[in-house]
Amino acid sequence: MKEMIIHGLGQAYENLVRMFADFLPRLVVMLVIVVVGLLVAYVLKTVLRTVLHVTKLDRLSEEAGASRFLRMAALPSMTELLSRSLFWVTWSGFILIGISILGVAGLQEQISRLFLLLPAIFVAILVLFLGLVTANFLSRAALLAAVNAGYPSPKLLSWSIRFVIWALAISMALEQVGVARQTVIAAFSIVFGAFMLGLAIAFGLGGRELARDFLERNLGDKKTKKHEEPQPL
Amino acid sequence: MAEEILLQDDFLRQLMSVGEVDLLVAIPSYNHAATINETLQAIEESLHQNFVRERAVILNVDGGSSDATRQMFLDTSERRNAGLKSLTSLRTIHRISCEYDRSPSQGMALRSVVAAADLLRARSCAVVSPGTASLTPSWVANLLRPVYREQFDFVAPLYARSRFQGLLARDLLYPMSRAIFGRSIREVYSDEWGFCGRLASQCLEQEVWHEEAVRARPGAWMAITAMCRDFKCCQYFLGPKTAAVPGTSADIVEAIRQTVGNLFWCMEANQAQWLNRTGSQAVPTFGPDHELSADGIPGAQEKIFDLFRSGVNELHPILASILAEDTHAQVKAIALLDPGKFRFSIELWVRTLYEFAASYHRAALNRDHLVQALVPLYRGRLYSFLLEHAASSAEAMEVESEILCQEFERQKPYLVARWNSKSEVKP
Amino acid sequence: MLQKSQQQNPASLLQDESLWYKDAVIYQLHVRTFCDSNGDGIGDFRGLTNKLDYLQELGINAIWLLPFYPSPLRDDGYDIADYTSVHASYGSLQDFKDFLTAAHNRRIRVITEMVVNHTSDQHPWFQEARSSRENSKRDWYVWSDTDTRYQGVRINFVDTEMSNWAWDTISKSYYWHRFFSHQPDLNYDNPAVREAMWEVMKFWLDIGVDGFRLDAVPYLIERDGTSCENLPETHEIIKEFRRRLDLAYPGKMLLAEANQRPAEVRSYFGAGDEFHMAFHFPLMPRMFMAVKLEDRKPIIEILEQTPQIPDTCQWCIFLRNHDELTLEMVTDVERDYMYDEYAVDKAMRINLGIRRRLAPMMENDRRRVELLTGLLLSMPGTPIIYYGDEIGMGDNIYLGDRNGVRTPMQWNGGWNAGFSSADPERLYSPVISNAVYGYQAINVDSQRRSAHSLLSWTKSVIQTRNAFRVFSRGSIEFLSPTNHRVLAYVRRLGDEKVLVVNNLSSSAQAVELNLQAYKRHIPIEMFGRNLFPRIGDLPYLLTLGPYQFYWFRLRKI
Repeated sequence: MKEMIIHGLGQAYENLVRMFADFLPRLVVMLVIVVVGLLVAYVLKTVLRTVLHVTKLDRLSEEAGASRFLRMAALPSMTELLSRSLFWVTWSGFILIGISILGVAGLQEQISRLFLLLPAIFVAILVLFLGLVTANFLSRAALLAAVNAGYPSPKLLSWSIRFVIWALAISMALEQVGVARQTVIAAFSIVFGAFMLGLAIAFGLGGRELARDFLERNLGDKKTKKHEEPQPL
Repeated sequence: MAEEILLQDDFLRQLMSVGEVDLLVAIPSYNHAATINETLQAIEESLHQNFVRERAVILNVDGGSSDATRQMFLDTSERRNAGLKSLTSLRTIHRISCEYDRSPSQGMALRSVVAAADLLRARSCAVVSPGTASLTPSWVANLLRPVYREQFDFVAPLYARSRFQGLLARDLLYPMSRAIFGRSIREVYSDEWGFCGRLASQCLEQEVWHEEAVRARPGAWMAITAMCRDFKCCQYFLGPKTAAVPGTSADIVEAIRQTVGNLFWCMEANQAQWLNRTGSQAVPTFGPDHELSADGIPGAQEKIFDLFRSGVNELHPILASILAEDTHAQVKAIALLDPGKFRFSIELWVRTLYEFAASYHRAALNRDHLVQALVPLYRGRLYSFLLEHAASSAEAMEVESEILCQEFERQKPYLVARWNSKSEVKP
Repeated sequence: MLQKSQQQNPASLLQDESLWYKDAVIYQLHVRTFCDSNGDGIGDFRGLTNKLDYLQELGINAIWLLPFYPSPLRDDGYDIADYTSVHASYGSLQDFKDFLTAAHNRRIRVITEMVVNHTSDQHPWFQEARSSRENSKRDWYVWSDTDTRYQGVRINFVDTEMSNWAWDTISKSYYWHRFFSHQPDLNYDNPAVREAMWEVMKFWLDIGVDGFRLDAVPYLIERDGTSCENLPETHEIIKEFRRRLDLAYPGKMLLAEANQRPAEVRSYFGAGDEFHMAFHFPLMPRMFMAVKLEDRKPIIEILEQTPQIPDTCQWCIFLRNHDELTLEMVTDVERDYMYDEYAVDKAMRINLGIRRRLAPMMENDRRRVELLTGLLLSMPGTPIIYYGDEIGMGDNIYLGDRNGVRTPMQWNGGWNAGFSSADPERLYSPVISNAVYGYQAINVDSQRRSAHSLLSWTKSVIQTRNAFRVFSRGSIEFLSPTNHRVLAYVRRLGDEKVLVVNNLSSSAQAVELNLQAYKRHIPIEMFGRNLFPRIGDLPYLLTLGPYQFYWFRLRKI
């Protein structure tokens, strides 16, 4: 019995050492790949940053108005953003290659699936980002317009617009990455529909005066417009 | 990159036929069939009476009118001349018309005008509005003459105002532009003005025609360009200004968006010129002596105060990102005052405006939103002004206006400091 | 060289051309200014006869002679003391007849002056009339005991006359004069006056003159409460003259000098039963104005206001003449402009006009002189060339009255410009002798030697005009290109079409002409006879140099 246990332990120890011996080279290779990947990613980042500096991408981005969005989202400049993105994408790729070298069962499949999901994840991130910026912009515009026009509850209007756009963006992002597609679509439809119905009822019942005022201002004879304030110019 | 804008072939052909001119009078139009006749008549009469020997062209730049404005402009002159004594003008007075775009844009209209002025080597030019019912032949002559005969480069109009008319101009645009750009031109934001060919050529060279600020108020942009580049400016008193169709002038929100947006944009574009300027220079003023007329009843005020108060409350986070902390605190404090005792002091008003300007420069948030955020504060200032001056004489209001101008000039170093500072306002 | 048969009967040659005046190119001169044959310093008919070859070579076919009658010469011969004789300084009546024959032999007609409105106060008629109130000729003039009749009538010679009435110290009454006070007006209400004037005309017609320029015709009749101009009775008198002329002397021509607006001059044509021709006074200053303004507007406007005239009648057009360039028929604004541009020196101004010649007014710019001459010869009407303008003669504004434009003709660079063998001091007027316009620089002989001189050019353009009747008899249709500095028109007579394009500007111009009505025609430039591109569907593009003009024949081949 004792010899069996010792034999078994010895066997197990041998197997472990063999496994470790088998695994260690792959680990080393993986680490080498990761380190090489780090260097390559760093070089590529530096090269891209230099190229983008020379082509003055930041100025173009400023002129196109994209820099403003980046600032609002607390992101770095376009050059920096692209350089860093390239760094992380490159290094992530090397890391994933390294992990696949390890030969861990099941992991390779997951890694392949992850690779396939990457474009969708990227699009989802973009959709969320745009949704965030758009919601910000439109809600603020609505707030200002409502305040300046003297409409009641401008914050409610602003928040409503923000909510709708967020909901839309989140739904689109989740749908993009394929998370609970059916549920998300159904939930969004229900919530959005209910929201709109609520608005319609509220507007129809409670907003008659507001509606009349709005119509009078924008579609009526301009000569009959009441001037509440002195002519500014 | 901005799209290249080229003159239309048909327009170019018309310019070729006209050749070099001494005078160019431009009428930007959009659906002005009802009034273009009278405008054209006033211009022709002015040219007949005051500039008989000069080579002149009347240029209509139209934004795609759907009511035959252009046809009316081109067709009516011969019939009208039957009323004038025959053989009164020595020369052909040319009438040319172009459609600069399919949708109206004052900026593109002005571009066509300065392009024409440059190509025709016009010495003196004037822009008049077909929407101004009070336009007379003397207006046209007064806009052309200082440039043509007195070697000025830019002529701004002066209108006869009543006490409570044009308060945006008197309480914000004029004093602020005077302090910033250093020239005392009262009506920077007007529909009629005169300029020389040299200024037109310089304006044409600038690639600003796609900028919304220029498209909305190109006349003001030109006036500010003239002030910044040390062109010789003057003012000419024209008389009272009335719109051809009452009630069509922009409401306060749109007016502020266009004018203040334009002012801030011009500050941004010309910062190299105005940052080092101090004080202001008077510009020569021609025409009879005038003052604010005593008539004019202040509009309903309660509503204005309510809009101010609700604006301060509802736009709290936005104002916090624009204004300095203590300024914001003061604004919030006065929003709590009793309407009867409300006062928006000159010092606070100037400081507020300067902080808005500096935030615009930093693009703290979307610039159009920033300008719109000023509207409630302007209403507060307007309310305060109306309350304070309900019974004031025109003279007292003029004195007050001068004090405001001096306050703007006094606080300019504060603006310069905030403008040059890189730090952002912490919400 | 004329055929022998023509030499034997020159008058008959000319008579078949009943509308000859429409095709005429008239040369205006004063016999005194042209050529002196006897060395007395004054031009005469023999001298003029000697120069007829020059005029024939020039291409003109009619001569209009300024008054050559006996006269005290206080108004350059317009104050006539004897209607049926020749001033001794200019020769004898026989000299005149010889001149007339020689002119006719060269197919050159002769038009003389008939100063019908007034005489010199030295005329025997006036001498008799003033001798006593009972004299038979008393009523041949217009008398009054006061100077208050015909109030408000304008004074023509504003620089020298204060009133239209002058006091006669002999008969102690006032007499009426619309011109100088030494030129009393004849009284056409008196049939005897009319008859006497007809006899005068007959006298010259019998000798063989081809027509008369009737001077100052608007002023023949006076009536209270009127302007005393263009009255209906005046027209009746003219009609009577014309009727008698047509009856007894067919083919002769009457030319009216009526400095009025075109609408008022129109009445002098009647229904083709008054004058054959009349001067288009208002057009002339506007041609000068158009060139200075670089704008066709003044020309177009006045021609649009010019009424239609009977088919047998013709306008007479001119650039300059012996009088001042009159600015009576323009607005005050236009007059001021003309003064400021063409007569800055006040010495250049007289009455309501400018006393300068063509070339000095054009600042001796050959191109402008050619442009205006081209306009003169291509616009509808019978052109009149003032002597000396064909060589670009200058003027002397420091001579009195309008004598600055009546200086001796410059024939060569020699003694007295070849005008006279007399001592220079004896000349009736000094010759122009400055460095620019002086006779050494500007004279016929030197210009004859060059094929590119102004004289040679003028000859060729007259020759071209004479070759095409469309210029003298054709209609005119103005084109309206958008370029206002170009004046373009089409002259048309039957199938003959000529396109005339003039650049009124000092800079090169491009112009697009709407010639749709002449589609498929080929423009042929008339001086060089070169073909231009056929007229197609698109506007016809032409480019012109400064002050350049084109004459194109439009032919459909």
